[in-house]
Amino acid sequence: MPSPQMASVTRQLSRRSVFEALLHRSPISRADLAKVTGLSKQTMSEVIDAFEQQGLVHRVGRTSGNVGRTAVLYELSAEGGHVLGIDLGARRLTVALADIAGRVLAEADEPTDSRGGAWVLDQIARLSDRLARENHTHPSRIRSIVLATPGVVNPKSGAIEMAPNITGLGHLNVVGLLGEKLGSPVVFENDINLALLGEIWHGCAQNVANVAFLALGSGVGLGLYVNGQLVRGENGAAGEIGYLPIGGDPLQAESRLQGCLEYQVGAAGVVRRYREAGGSDVDSARQVFERAQTGDSSAMNVVDETARLIGLAAATVIATVDPQLLVLGGSVGARPDFADKVARALLQLAPRQVEIRTSALGTRAGVVGALSVALRRLHDEFFGVAELAATLPLPPPRAA
Amino acid sequence: MTRDTACCFAADLGGTKLAAAMADAHGRIVAELTEPTDPRGGAYVAEQIAACADKLARAAGIEVTRPRHVMVGVPGAIDPRTGRVSQIPNIAGFEEFDVLGYLRGRFGPDVSIENDVNLAMLGEQAFGCASGCHNAAFLALGTGAGLGLLINDKLFRGASGAAGEIADLPFARDPTSQNQSTFELEVGSLAIVDRYRRQGGSGAVTVRDIFRLLEQGDEVAASVLDTTARWVALAVVTLQSLLDLELIVFGGSIGVRPELYERVRLVLPALFSRPITIAPSRLGDRAGLIGAAWAAAQALRQNPERA
Repeated sequence: MPSPQMASVTRQLSRRSVFEALLHRSPISRADLAKVTGLSKQTMSEVIDAFEQQGLVHRVGRTSGNVGRTAVLYELSAEGGHVLGIDLGARRLTVALADIAGRVLAEADEPTDSRGGAWVLDQIARLSDRLARENHTHPSRIRSIVLATPGVVNPKSGAIEMAPNITGLGHLNVVGLLGEKLGSPVVFENDINLALLGEIWHGCAQNVANVAFLALGSGVGLGLYVNGQLVRGENGAAGEIGYLPIGGDPLQAESRLQGCLEYQVGAAGVVRRYREAGGSDVDSARQVFERAQTGDSSAMNVVDETARLIGLAAATVIATVDPQLLVLGGSVGARPDFADKVARALLQLAPRQVEIRTSALGTRAGVVGALSVALRRLHDEFFGVAELAATLPLPPPRAA
Repeated sequence: MTRDTACCFAADLGGTKLAAAMADAHGRIVAELTEPTDPRGGAYVAEQIAACADKLARAAGIEVTRPRHVMVGVPGAIDPRTGRVSQIPNIAGFEEFDVLGYLRGRFGPDVSIENDVNLAMLGEQAFGCASGCHNAAFLALGTGAGLGLLINDKLFRGASGAAGEIADLPFARDPTSQNQSTFELEVGSLAIVDRYRRQGGSGAVTVRDIFRLLEQGDEVAASVLDTTARWVALAVVTLQSLLDLELIVFGGSIGVRPELYERVRLVLPALFSRPITIAPSRLGDRAGLIGAAWAAAQALRQNPERA
């Protein structure tokens, strides 16, 4: 006779495997669930009945076309729980809502409040609340929230460090304050790490075990995914490639503070270098890129040099971590014309050639990645089994 | 000594010497030997490795026809899918030769080959200065440059086994110019000696000579090491920005010299705003062999039915 503890673990495992089958194969009948999970029909009935009572599953119809009796089909119910993904960028704030089955229900975005700090936190709360209400989801049903943010979150204080592009966040306990405003614990992850996870879940890096994601936009950063795990480093600062000693004098004060590479290739660096080259009347890197396309030779030189420096950074990544796939992302990095230039530079610079793709999700990558982590956390909360280290595999992309 | 106290065979293959050891199930070395690497390379070297196992067993007076695990460190990249070795300039004919196949034919299926610097990293983690580290690197500087990476507590080999091949790390000679160099072209032993000559020094044929001249107050030697240390520091900053490590262990015949790593340590704060910890290898030139023995014992543990 199994001990009560043993029986409890067995029950947890049964619930988990039924949930996993529903996640990947809905709509599905009890008989097929039993076949897939290997559980007895009686156990299956117990689990499904419990799931129905909890509002985790509902009936969506009956099988048809088979000989004999038709069977009831089940699928995961959106009422089972919701998750929220937030991507806080220097220029744009994006929020997305998904249900427990991984269906993305809605997304909204607006320019980040330029006043920074507490204003930004209020803005996040307002946009999240609006999104939930517009989708008839009471905010209390949101069980898991993940925020993508530039920089590094200090694991001890909860403050965001090394995020020079958003003012006034450095001194706030963002984790705590946002959690209070949204009424549910908030988990942070670096925006580039999350953009990488977004590409792995829904984008151009599905089913690839070793991926490097190099993002260039306002700033520059790198996400590394190795054997199913993000590489975060000892203090969460892995991938802060703005500090690579590339493109300038690493002993210069700007290099040490802002990062040698970022000082050159970040949006501010692109504008500065264009002005230094005699270009005038621009206030954004986007304008420099637009002028390069219309034949402005100073702009073209700045863009070419930016691509060469990103190529050098990518070659450094390839020499050091040997990825299977290099994804170029970010508002600048994912531009096809820019990515082509980087790929050409890499032909000269890289020690070996690696497949390069541009981000498939573009500006959505971060928020999709945030949803994927929020979803995993929700699944773990409901169906995590302490004896199993592995988390449930996420469902494939699907429409709501 | 019994069969049980000597159940693992470990070897660390270098361009000039081959070290081999028998170890117990905890990866502790119980007997070891070193001999010059067979210059004919290829199959001769593979045979030499296998012969070391016999010699060690005979010297210890035990019959070890089949060690329960064999771990061989090689100075090259190993493709994780095929087991083939590449980027191994110091051993002739090793890229074409199926060394893993040969050793398995000789010892049975429980044979692994691993990059030598990766094994040095494991050695330092198990018994050396990286004890308790989860994210660390072993930077080997000698004839060439190599890197062993420990990420999330595991060896980090890369998609094609070429992670840490930092000899190829691209560097700009002058950061503002497009004149590209690589790490090894700046800090390999040939580059250091060449730099000494170009700066007008005389009397140095090897890096060891330069260290000797430094002790005698040779200013060119000091300047050459300053320049070399600056390049090494740039590589250290590169690693730290990419991987945010707890510790970077300096090893290899040049890397362990305090004249070098103390210079690197001095330059780092000006190059990077957060602290970077570097330390010399505690196991020295035995790090690879000690790591190989430990890794063999670990492999045994993961294969308990064979243990």
